[in-house]
Amino acid sequence: MLDTFEILTTSGVVLWSKSYSAISPAIINSLITNVFIEERTLPGAGIADDISAANNPPYKYDQHTLKWTTVKELGLIFVAVYRSLLHLSWIDKLVDNIKTIFVDLYGDQLKKPHTTIVECHFDEYFDQQVRELEKTALNQDTRVAEASALEEAPISVSANLRDEPPPLPGILSRGQSKNTFKDLTSNESTPIATPDTSRPSTPASHILTGKGGPGGKGSRRARKAANTPSAYASSGEESQRKGRPKSSGPKKGRKWDAEGMADEDSDTPLDYSTPADGVNLGDDEGKGRPGNVEGVDHATWGSKTGKGQFVLKDLDDQVNSILATAGAKKESSTASTGIVGSSINAIGGLFRNVVGGKTLTKEDLDKAMKGMEDHLLRKNVAREAAIRLCEGVERELIGVKTGNFESVQARIQTAMEASLQKILTPTSSLDLLREIDAVTSPSALSLKKKRPYVISIVGVNGVGKSTNLSKICFFLLQNKYKVLVVACDTFRSGAVEQLAVHVRNLKELSAREGGEVELYQKGYGKDAANVAKDSVSFAAQEGFDVVLIDTAGRRHNDQRLMSSLDKFAKFANPDKILMVGEALVGTDSVAQARNFNTAFGAGRSLDGFIISKCDTVGDMVGTLVSMVHATNVPVLFVGVGQHYSDLRNLSVKWAVQKLLSSNQ
Amino acid sequence: MSTIAEWAHALMSPSPVALIVGILLVLSIPLFLHSFVFRASGLTTLPSILLIGPSGSGKTSLLTLFERGTSAAQTHTSQAPISAECHLPVGTLASSDRYRSVNDPTNLRHKKFLLVDTPGHGKLRHHALASITNPQNLKGIIFVVDAATLSAGDEGLRHTADYLHDILLVLQKRTESKNKAVKALKEIPILIAANKGDLFTALPASLVKSSLEMEISKVRSSRSKGLLDSGIGMEDEGDRDEWLGEVGSTEFRFKQMEEFDVVVEVSGGNVAGG
Repeated sequence: MLDTFEILTTSGVVLWSKSYSAISPAIINSLITNVFIEERTLPGAGIADDISAANNPPYKYDQHTLKWTTVKELGLIFVAVYRSLLHLSWIDKLVDNIKTIFVDLYGDQLKKPHTTIVECHFDEYFDQQVRELEKTALNQDTRVAEASALEEAPISVSANLRDEPPPLPGILSRGQSKNTFKDLTSNESTPIATPDTSRPSTPASHILTGKGGPGGKGSRRARKAANTPSAYASSGEESQRKGRPKSSGPKKGRKWDAEGMADEDSDTPLDYSTPADGVNLGDDEGKGRPGNVEGVDHATWGSKTGKGQFVLKDLDDQVNSILATAGAKKESSTASTGIVGSSINAIGGLFRNVVGGKTLTKEDLDKAMKGMEDHLLRKNVAREAAIRLCEGVERELIGVKTGNFESVQARIQTAMEASLQKILTPTSSLDLLREIDAVTSPSALSLKKKRPYVISIVGVNGVGKSTNLSKICFFLLQNKYKVLVVACDTFRSGAVEQLAVHVRNLKELSAREGGEVELYQKGYGKDAANVAKDSVSFAAQEGFDVVLIDTAGRRHNDQRLMSSLDKFAKFANPDKILMVGEALVGTDSVAQARNFNTAFGAGRSLDGFIISKCDTVGDMVGTLVSMVHATNVPVLFVGVGQHYSDLRNLSVKWAVQKLLSSNQ
Repeated sequence: MSTIAEWAHALMSPSPVALIVGILLVLSIPLFLHSFVFRASGLTTLPSILLIGPSGSGKTSLLTLFERGTSAAQTHTSQAPISAECHLPVGTLASSDRYRSVNDPTNLRHKKFLLVDTPGHGKLRHHALASITNPQNLKGIIFVVDAATLSAGDEGLRHTADYLHDILLVLQKRTESKNKAVKALKEIPILIAANKGDLFTALPASLVKSSLEMEISKVRSSRSKGLLDSGIGMEDEGDRDEWLGEVGSTEFRFKQMEEFDVVVEVSGGNVAGG
């Protein structure tokens, strides 16, 4: 069963909610932070308007599944939460329908400025929807169960096998029948069969008879009776199925109605009557339809103003009419725009392009976005990241009005700037010194033991791991920490000696300022993880503040080399794992970052990037964006030169300015 | 010649139409002026108070509590700023009302103000900074903290102190800003609202104050020791005097901010839970 349904605004206020069993608010908070703010979803699946819940990827958190959809212009989010164990196929439909109804009923209240209060008495509408959708789902199930009984045994067995962890006994039948139902539909080759899609068709019949539930129900029964043999036949034979599309119009229409398996080709579930279908539909329904919507509008009008007590009774009709008008609206918006109209629009568009106040559409943006994408690619941003950034900006801008005297180009520029800023800004502050202080000298009240702070550095061959390690070491020495440098590159000859040279230099440089640095090394051929572990306990004994571990460079797509990182992370247990990536690398940066990020096993990931060699690329600092995009791990330092002191914190403003500058 | 004379005659003679038009003009100009000058100034935004604080401290809850008066709404993580119009209870006197007569009828009206909520998530703090660097009739700031996560050595304390440090630093440097509206901000009171006082682990207001002061001293010293930004050399980053509070002091005290006309006050309480 559904756990909770919430309607909230982007500013965080819950407008309406209904919960059947209490859930922690952390569930929805994590949806918001991960999906909306940090955009950890897969590229392509994003926050767009008018996307039905079915197209948004479900978000899973702690045994709960969340289905959600948004209304961008009103800043609304609709979330349904249910146990992941359950298989509720009608949730998508519910979320979409609730969205339509809520926006229709309270849309104008939401546009008022300076208030968070929305007067809504939404419980009845919601309950009605749940009841109705559940009913249709159940009807579907029983019918399918009948049909599936006639199927051959192997299919149902396979369905059982595919059945995921055994659901609760009460749900068992539903889950099973649903799976067989899937099989059935795959035979018929109708795409996604959500059982509840029969809903949109029923309003018409309701409206036609002018009655509430019983009439519709009766007709459904009748249709079901008519339908069962056909479904049965179709499941059996392929040839039968092929024959059907050629069959006459009315038959097709009736079939579609009764079975409730929507033609998902017109991928809007609310779109219950495409014009083509309307023509093909039988004499009775086809004629009735256009007038119907009007009629019901009057009816709802009357029930709203005149007889207050009938509101409850006519709730079904009201809801259905809302859904129907929404469907009709969508239809008309996609339908005809004459040649004259479009040409006037085009001229007006050109004018507004200069003056501003133009509502942006996909067509307006396409060309400019292409230009922006090319620009980013020229800045050495990986294609994947560039595409995602552009898609994000495009989604954000569609439907937005440009300001006075603001061209489309300028609008895109500012949006892209904001987008880059958002992606590069870290979620929490990255003050390394304070973190070290917190670990090495914990406050007396916090019951934590003093221990050394462990930083390990990983990366591909030749990106400058040892160099950056010594730069960090120099920075720490200037702040008077006692540092232990550990040579865990036990593989490449000369690696240990190289570090020894660095340590010798650093010793001499910092001797006067009071920093202390030692090298810990066990020669070549030893297991790196063990060396690291020993070094940490050695540092704890000797009272070192910071342990810096250098590792061997490894190719990120070599499974053998990468797998040893898992053990390394477990043994050394570093406080920070930093990955060095060079600014020179192009498209490969995404794969590098991703592979290293996942190499440390479950529950451990990278803590930051060091982007080296930034001085060699000028403006083309796209690697920064690519790596952060791939992993959501912040950039901690950038290397900007050959000296020990050439290590910098990342200034987001600087990076954004370089990325958007166009002096090439 | 004759035409000119005719024209002159027509202009000088008191025709009724010209009279009416003239009178209308004379009467309407003051009216127009009045509506322009006063309406326009009336349209400026209400005095606003900014809600800032780390994520999960209860800013939006506080906003809804102020707006609804009785109980706060259920809230989740904010993604966008929102402003709500709130009323002070009847009889509250603003400091600008000192010179009003006691019997002034405006005293019996609700005083309206805007409460502006900002998202506290790390990636979205630019909203809050923007409303300080580009203020709209800003009168004060409420910095909401979660008193239950401020015990020493806690992550929450570090993040809160970081954020508070940044905000105070922006306020301290406001006189250097190029934006006139920022310079016009004379006195800015900051109220540190220690929320969630109903929880068992919550610290009392005095402790909240001292632990925040201590943590800000740490932030301050580690920032001064930290690495330079990669953006050094960009034109508008000329002056890099980033030391918060009194120069040369070892411990940060909120009192030190009074030198920059920023008055900080701490008080405890709780939005939810009675």
